[in-house]
Amino acid sequence: MAEEIKQDYWSYVKRQFSSNKRALYSMYVIIFMAMIALFADFIANEKPIYCEYKGNTYFPIFRDYGVSLGLAKWPKDLLNINWIDAKFDKCLRAPIPYSTTNQDFFNSGFVSPFGKQNVASTRWRHWFGTDDIGRDITAGLIHGTRIAFIVGIISMSIASFIGILLGAIAGFFGDNKIQISRASVIMGIIFFFLGWFYAFMTRSYTLSDAIGESIIKFLGELLLSLLIFIGALFAGYLLGFVLKVIPFFKTKVNIPVNIIVQRMIEILVSIPRLFLIIAVIAISKPGIVLIMVIIGLTSWTEIARFIRAELLKVRSLEYIEASEALGYSRWRILFKHAIPNAIAPVLITVAFGIAAAILIESSLSFLGIGVPAEVVTWGKILAKAQGSKSQMWVAIFPGIAIFLTVTLFNLIGEGLTDALDPRQKK
Amino acid sequence: MLKYIVKRIAIFIPTLFVISLVTFYLSVNVPGDPVEQMLNSNSEMGSSANAQASEKAYIDKREQLGLNLPIFYFSLTNRAVPQNLHEIPKKFHRQNLERLIDKYGNWTEIQTYYNSLKEFEFKVAKVQKDSTNADALINIKEKLQKLYINYDDNAIKSSFASITTNLNVSASLSEVKTYFQTVEGNYEKGVKGKATVYKKYIPAVHWYGTQNQYHQWITKFMVGDFGISYQDQRPVKKVIWEAVRWTVMLSIVSIILTYLIAIPLGIKAAAKKDSTSDKVMSTTLFMLYSLPVFWVATLLIMFLGGGDFLSWFPAYGVGEISDSDSFLTVFWTRFYHLILPMVCFTYGGLAFLYRQMRGAMINTLSQDYIRTARAKGLDEKNVLWKHAFKNSLLPIITLFANVFPLVISGAIIIENKFSIPGMGKTAIEAISARNYPMIYTIVMFSAILTMVGYLVADILYAVVDPRISYNKK
Repeated sequence: MAEEIKQDYWSYVKRQFSSNKRALYSMYVIIFMAMIALFADFIANEKPIYCEYKGNTYFPIFRDYGVSLGLAKWPKDLLNINWIDAKFDKCLRAPIPYSTTNQDFFNSGFVSPFGKQNVASTRWRHWFGTDDIGRDITAGLIHGTRIAFIVGIISMSIASFIGILLGAIAGFFGDNKIQISRASVIMGIIFFFLGWFYAFMTRSYTLSDAIGESIIKFLGELLLSLLIFIGALFAGYLLGFVLKVIPFFKTKVNIPVNIIVQRMIEILVSIPRLFLIIAVIAISKPGIVLIMVIIGLTSWTEIARFIRAELLKVRSLEYIEASEALGYSRWRILFKHAIPNAIAPVLITVAFGIAAAILIESSLSFLGIGVPAEVVTWGKILAKAQGSKSQMWVAIFPGIAIFLTVTLFNLIGEGLTDALDPRQKK
Repeated sequence: MLKYIVKRIAIFIPTLFVISLVTFYLSVNVPGDPVEQMLNSNSEMGSSANAQASEKAYIDKREQLGLNLPIFYFSLTNRAVPQNLHEIPKKFHRQNLERLIDKYGNWTEIQTYYNSLKEFEFKVAKVQKDSTNADALINIKEKLQKLYINYDDNAIKSSFASITTNLNVSASLSEVKTYFQTVEGNYEKGVKGKATVYKKYIPAVHWYGTQNQYHQWITKFMVGDFGISYQDQRPVKKVIWEAVRWTVMLSIVSIILTYLIAIPLGIKAAAKKDSTSDKVMSTTLFMLYSLPVFWVATLLIMFLGGGDFLSWFPAYGVGEISDSDSFLTVFWTRFYHLILPMVCFTYGGLAFLYRQMRGAMINTLSQDYIRTARAKGLDEKNVLWKHAFKNSLLPIITLFANVFPLVISGAIIIENKFSIPGMGKTAIEAISARNYPMIYTIVMFSAILTMVGYLVADILYAVVDPRISYNKK
């Protein structure tokens, strides 16, 4: 007996999860795929990783990052270079020497991976074939991994944030535990609108112009707007204190947070998600960020339900009573004691949610809505297949990629369900 | 029971109200000008050369669409924005005026500037075209249109400069010169000179009453008037009705099929828990659950439908039928065409329901009363179907509410892939044609259908389980 077995909750969950081999190996594969997503630029890229050209040494992929961040510029020699045809003195290319945008005109029209290809050498072979305009499927799949993972992770982060916050408040406070004085309610409403007015309405053109300029400028303007908004709310809060001098305003009113959150959930689940997303996308410019945000904003309901149910149990436990008796504020108890103890089941929903988000993104790509033309995703490659058997490769490889990722996340979700279920305790 | 149903429907109304607000908000913010779009699809009106006549056509169409009304019951803006801004007909002009208001804040001056610009446009349109001024006129008109959509000071000034040079080209243009000078004067002295930017920071609430677009839209929606489709000028109601039939039919049949297959499979699997057949079954169905429906549809078409592999099923459409065909022929044609789509509609929900049924059944089978039933010598079949089945059915029934939206969402992809003229296909076509009345009616309908699904689930729940009483509370 070398090591002491840790008895705390998370170590227990970890052990349970690891004993489920299916889920554990799924996890490993997902980590591997995440690595592909992270290093996609170094795995499939028309630009060499390192090259010597006209006597100078370059690291084009790194420089590309610098250029897109605005920190570097392309030297004259490389500015309009055709990376694939250029003759470098020395160069080290990525394992797949194509980017998603490269059109190989000699191999256009769904070239099969197994047949003869019109390429210079095996180094340039299209291992998974090409699509109708000669783009390399392998490169598309590798960069598609990145899009799928980003969409899955970011959208579920947004969903978790909203879901945990709303679900926890609804579950912990219920319908009759939040009482606010009339003064605060009135001031809250007034200053909410004032804050909204000065932060977002009078600044609406500043904000929308900033989106067009650069994302950093937009975030800066957004931050300023948020500060104004929060400032206004704070001012309202302070004024509320003053108003409380009058007895009428001191009377407390009940805020039924539970009912409010439940209604919000009901409304959201009443609109079929794909239809809602399509309706929103119909009025805005296509963009991956938009898709992530919409998926995030529409998929928090399940998380909120989970954590609400969990907190309904937690709030009557003794340690909560104990901390109440110690005189901690209720918000502190909620965020420091209640939520951390109820958050584990959320992991299950998040795992399933990532799978669902990836499915939605690929469905949208497949339908050709919302994803910008220059972005290559799994669903988009798949949509190229029009039903002829000669285009089989275009349908099969991205399909497998989507299927595999979704299955793996679902398996992890299942593993977590088992690991977190106390009835399965051995 | 009746009381409960009435209460449940009463809860739907606020939900539906909020959904209608969301939908309406989206529909108001659509890019492009719906009036222009309607006029363009009506070619005879769009080609009217005379500026005044086309403006008249525009205003008439706008009024007919009800777009001349304020958007909502009230508006929350600032003091600089006038209450009747919505009366400016052209959407792009209005958006530009809003920009100018945001920049300078003096509506009366901006309005004078705008009106003088319009007057100048009419005067220019009346100038006789001849060989000396043809190019200049084209240039002036082009710059004029730019002025309507420019709010940037430099852009406006460069347009002004260009118009001034072009006005000096020919003597025939001297007549309109004075009008242009008014425009310039109004901009420099009025708009810029008398700017009142501070007004922007004073909030203002305008009340419009029921004469607004939302009120008109929702009252019409409730009596079944959904507007006119931009695509083919047919009433949206008609188009939707033709589409909804297919989607509702397919989803109901597929849900029934799902239940009929999933329940026995789930029970069998639960009865033989952890046996090989259970494991094979569960793994297969688990994988089915993760299969993206568009992939399955693509592969089915590729390998089974009309492709060059096995041509067993028709891949597209719902089949041609004529009035003289007998019922059986019609039925067979439809059935034959809908087999592949049906498979796609069904398998996802099947996998989902199977898992739930198996779980519920395993749960029930571990209960004490099942052990009692077995102990008193009941045969396994009786235990399974008479005792356990009834009690594990409950959670499954409620899942109806989860399966239904799943199926409706699936319709978007499946109908498009198989060319079934249902709601999903209509929605995508409407989006690519920017046919907004159509899109938002479809969203409303999909929401109503889903809510009906929830209602049915709730009622079934009450019917199946007598312990649940909705009259309490």
